[in-house]
Amino acid sequence: MAKIEFLDVHKSFGSAKVIENLNLTLEDGKFNVLVGPSGCGKTTLLRMIAGIGPATKGQILLDGEDVSNIPPGKRGVAMVFQSYAIYPMMTVRQNIEFGLKNNRVPKAERERRISEVSQVVGLAPYLGRKPSQLSGGQRQRVALARAMVKEPKVFLMDEPLSNLDAKLRGAMRSELVQLHKQLKTTFVYVTHDQVEAMAMGDCIILMDQGKIMQQSDPETMYRDPNNIFAAQFIGTPPTNIVEIGSENFKLGFRPETIILSANAGPDRAFTRRVKIMTREMLGAETFYKLCLEDGQEAMARLTNSSLAEGDTLYLQVDEDNLYFFDAKGNRVRKTGSQHYDAMVERVKRSHES
Amino acid sequence: MPYVMVAPAMTFLLVFTFYPLANLVYLSFFRYNLISDKVFIGLTNYRNLLFVKKDFIQALKNTALYSFAVVFFTILLAILFALWLEKDSKINRFLQKSMFTPYLIAMVSTAYIWSWMFDVDSGLLNAALAFVKLSPLRWLNDSSLAIWCIVIVSVWKSLGYYLLIVLASLKSIPSEIIEAAELDNTPWLRKFFRIILPMISPQIFFLLITITISSFKVFDSVRVMTNGGPGNATDVLVTYIHRYAFQMNMRVGYASAAGSLLLGILMILTVFYFRFAGRRVHYQ
Repeated sequence: MAKIEFLDVHKSFGSAKVIENLNLTLEDGKFNVLVGPSGCGKTTLLRMIAGIGPATKGQILLDGEDVSNIPPGKRGVAMVFQSYAIYPMMTVRQNIEFGLKNNRVPKAERERRISEVSQVVGLAPYLGRKPSQLSGGQRQRVALARAMVKEPKVFLMDEPLSNLDAKLRGAMRSELVQLHKQLKTTFVYVTHDQVEAMAMGDCIILMDQGKIMQQSDPETMYRDPNNIFAAQFIGTPPTNIVEIGSENFKLGFRPETIILSANAGPDRAFTRRVKIMTREMLGAETFYKLCLEDGQEAMARLTNSSLAEGDTLYLQVDEDNLYFFDAKGNRVRKTGSQHYDAMVERVKRSHES
Repeated sequence: MPYVMVAPAMTFLLVFTFYPLANLVYLSFFRYNLISDKVFIGLTNYRNLLFVKKDFIQALKNTALYSFAVVFFTILLAILFALWLEKDSKINRFLQKSMFTPYLIAMVSTAYIWSWMFDVDSGLLNAALAFVKLSPLRWLNDSSLAIWCIVIVSVWKSLGYYLLIVLASLKSIPSEIIEAAELDNTPWLRKFFRIILPMISPQIFFLLITITISSFKVFDSVRVMTNGGPGNATDVLVTYIHRYAFQMNMRVGYASAAGSLLLGILMILTVFYFRFAGRRVHYQ
């Protein structure tokens, strides 16, 4: 159990500054997911917590204690690597036992923990095998068991599912969530996959270019994005962003909030005439790529699959489903902005002109 | 068709490897000096080598000592230097290249240079000893020291090459494995013996075999530096064979028997390595 804090953390590799002036608190006992495009610095943060890629400047606190000068093995953290990094020359049992032996855990206690952990991850029949005799999924479990057996304060996971096939990944995803519920320890999970982040996290930390774009629970992350990046990174297809004439703000709306109809209803905030460019029927839902009159494009995600390419219709979005962003891409909310009502008015009028 | 494709390579192997090998073993059963008629004498050559004359056993002992020392120190130093030079920095790159340079020099030149340095009266090493007020050593003229002088030269010359192989294998260890070991709170020595050494064991095993074989065949450095002397203190198998085959009345039959024994010893050693040491080698 541990709270993790980053205070004014900097990290550079040679002359390349990856992270500048970062402050972040990861709450105790939560399933924290660091998500963002590749190269955004999420793995760098994870390695800082582990102590295998120390920060250039700044402090990292574990439960209020500065761990910057504590070696990785003494921080009480365990890590699951993307490549698993299990010791290839050791059997499954030796792999799990190695850290315990280094920490001089007595033999009886070691045996107890190994049998317990191997039961939980389903490795009990394979303890005598070498990693080369195991499947990808089993190796992943060895890496997990090796981390669990140390009973760490913090679990660090660096894209642990990315080397598994889609089906196994789905199964492991829910197993990890269950595991977190059982252990109730702090998890820090790195992924570039927004679906994984939404499905697993209690708290999502969305990063881009070394900066934290938004930190919130999945629901808030989806319904109430702080900026264009958050709105577009989370959700498939991403949030549509359109410009309104020569206005200095942008408008965003989720593809599933679009209403397409032959006649425009009068009470909707945003209305445009659109033409259907492409249609992707995915079963329960259908994606339509739409072209607005001024050449801008938008994606719609509807349960109605009866529309056809080439149809010309009205696109409408209710006011509650519109996001406003300023010129820098930051969200302008109804509360806290005196321009909000004026912007809504301008959007309504923009169709008539 | 496949036989035609491998025919050129096989022809070379047959003419230059298998035929000489077979002929070597064949000649070892004869009394023969290149000019005379071959006289079949059965195992007499072998009996003389192993039980009658004492010099072959001495050469065998010298070779074994030399080989053991070269294998041991080359691998040990190659690993130690590789661990030292593993970190990528300007000075390390420079050192690594400098250490490789001796490998580029012909063995004969190396041996001559070192003979001068070992010279009792005008050599660099005795001058250095005199400088720190130690009594001079007799180096190559000392029958118990001479073989070690040759060991030093061989290790010095080939270290850079073997170091390169060990260094490359160290760098091929995935960094995550080392990081995982750090997270497992592994002490330094344990990390080396339980993680690093097993990970580079295939390359070390390869070095073990190749260095053993090349040490058993040592010739040029011994020939230049001591020519087997003083007495026969540095006489090794190949100088022994060379002396009998080309200097002492061309006793080709007798030398062939010695050659066959060398061949046999190397075969047995290699099998032994694969049987026993090979079990401890970890292949990915």
